[in-house]
Amino acid sequence: MSHAITAQDLSKHYRVKVRDPGLRGALYALVSPRYRDVTAVDRLSFQIEHGEIVAFLGPNGAGKTTTLKMLTGLLYPTAGTVTVAGCNPWTGGSAFKSRITLVLGNKQQLLWDLPPEETFRLNKAIYGIPTEVYEAQRTELVDLLGLGPLLDTPARQLSLGERMKCELAAALLHRPTILMLDEPTLGLDVTAQDAIRRFLLDYRARHNATMLLTSHYMADITALASRVLMIDRGRLLFDGSLNALVARTTPLKRIELTLAEGATPEQIARFGEIHHFEFPHATIDVPRDEATRASARILMSGAVVDVSIQDPPIEDAIRLAFAEAANTERPPAPPLVPLVPRP
Amino acid sequence: MSTAALWARRYGALIRAAWLVDLQYRADIALWLLWGIIEPAVALGIWWSIASAAGGDVDGFTQLDFARYFFAVTLINQLTQAWDAWSIDHWVAEGEMNYRLARPLNPVHEAIADNLAYKARTGTIVLLVWLLAAWFWPIVRLPVHPRRWLLAAVAIVLGAAIRFFNGFAIGLLAFWTTRATSLIELQMALGVFLSGQIAPLDLLPHPVAVIAHYLWFPYVIAFPVSLLTGVGDSASSVAHGFIGQIVWLVVWWGAYRLVWRRGLVRYGAVGG
Repeated sequence: MSHAITAQDLSKHYRVKVRDPGLRGALYALVSPRYRDVTAVDRLSFQIEHGEIVAFLGPNGAGKTTTLKMLTGLLYPTAGTVTVAGCNPWTGGSAFKSRITLVLGNKQQLLWDLPPEETFRLNKAIYGIPTEVYEAQRTELVDLLGLGPLLDTPARQLSLGERMKCELAAALLHRPTILMLDEPTLGLDVTAQDAIRRFLLDYRARHNATMLLTSHYMADITALASRVLMIDRGRLLFDGSLNALVARTTPLKRIELTLAEGATPEQIARFGEIHHFEFPHATIDVPRDEATRASARILMSGAVVDVSIQDPPIEDAIRLAFAEAANTERPPAPPLVPLVPRP
Repeated sequence: MSTAALWARRYGALIRAAWLVDLQYRADIALWLLWGIIEPAVALGIWWSIASAAGGDVDGFTQLDFARYFFAVTLINQLTQAWDAWSIDHWVAEGEMNYRLARPLNPVHEAIADNLAYKARTGTIVLLVWLLAAWFWPIVRLPVHPRRWLLAAVAIVLGAAIRFFNGFAIGLLAFWTTRATSLIELQMALGVFLSGQIAPLDLLPHPVAVIAHYLWFPYVIAFPVSLLTGVGDSASSVAHGFIGQIVWLVVWWGAYRLVWRRGLVRYGAVGG
């Protein structure tokens, strides 16, 4: 079976106008405009399987949303090829658009002045959803997202979290199998974020949907994504599971110890490098793959009464990975093969 | 579901949604309508006074002709008006074009449906105002002439299509520039003179009237008005008018297709 999403050497270059500050700069730009080429996405290649939930990780401006928009067919790439749901996003037409959905956390498709039910009806007509399919899907979404009391309230009077739930329902009425989610929990409180995450996992389980998401909330990534694509300055730095990313960037695990009476630093130092020692607490760093064995040995030594193995925060692992990438010089880009897209 | 049924449902749902949104803003409807009525009413008042001062007519246009002319202008301007350039500019600048492009429906259809909803609403009100005025003021009554009214209806549809694709094509320049609406505002200002909104074209200075006839403006208002009021409905002027409308419709439809195709490639998908 083919992949749900395939991107090969995907690149996007922008030309942006630049000008010096002040009136002089403005006048100079008027008579002699200057431009700078920006590489938003640089030769990205990856494949995503059906039913996978994959997250893009990266700082602002890394190229995450640009990539998502190219996969959705909104942006034309400067070079490279993409296949999503068996289609070319720029020539796939209605067949392609009926298989995907795009949810933008900071933009809404709900009719602002009308209750969400009206947007649902509009989408039913636009996507040509048969009435029986629509009713079944609507019922399922309303139940899963708890939308019952919201359907007759104008969208503008809903809270941010309520609106996002309705956005998701509107975006999923046609049962897309590929979901592009750009910051789906942006600005939501913890409870609403959790509800959205649980819903997305449930939707994936019911429909074997493939999801590609961007989020600045690590809780979204850890709760949803089985795999991350780490991007910086448009280039793919890492493709794998979060655990693998953590293991690669932080080869040590930290063991928190509750010391027994009379335990000394010398006793503890035999098991790993002491990070902190202040009776009755101490922490030591040990190689990741020796953490379990080291913990058992410490307990058996009698120097401690309790041990707890800690993974470093994922944010730290990601920060380290980006720092590592920043220190790595980028090889020069090969010449691009220009695309001649046909709308 | 057949293709025809799918499109009928899509347009039905889009027009319904447009009406539902409009009903939220009743004051807005009244203000826009007032704007559409005041301009020709002022023009009528001016020309009425001029004709009166000139002894009853200006270059053959009597007060009766002016009254019928500007009532027709009010109706036809409402029925052919298109505001899409501002909508597209907003969609592009605010990132609202993104979800529209992700749906299996070209946004042009949403704009067409919105136009139909708007025109059905305001056109009906203007028509009622005209009928009411005709009840009390017999000189604005039109002689019953089904053939001419039918031709006028066709000319109004073609004029509306020209204005729609003209506005849509210029609005799509928002893919390149943030000043697309300035262009349409400039064009609207020219159109007030060159389409016959401020005065019948025959009363414009000769060079201006000649320039106007080489542009699309007269074909969107002046020509349908002439058919509806029965001024200049000879076979040759009717044929000339329809040929002009078809030519300009093809030109602006072609411009829309060209700008759409190139604009999509150019699009930066801003705003999320």
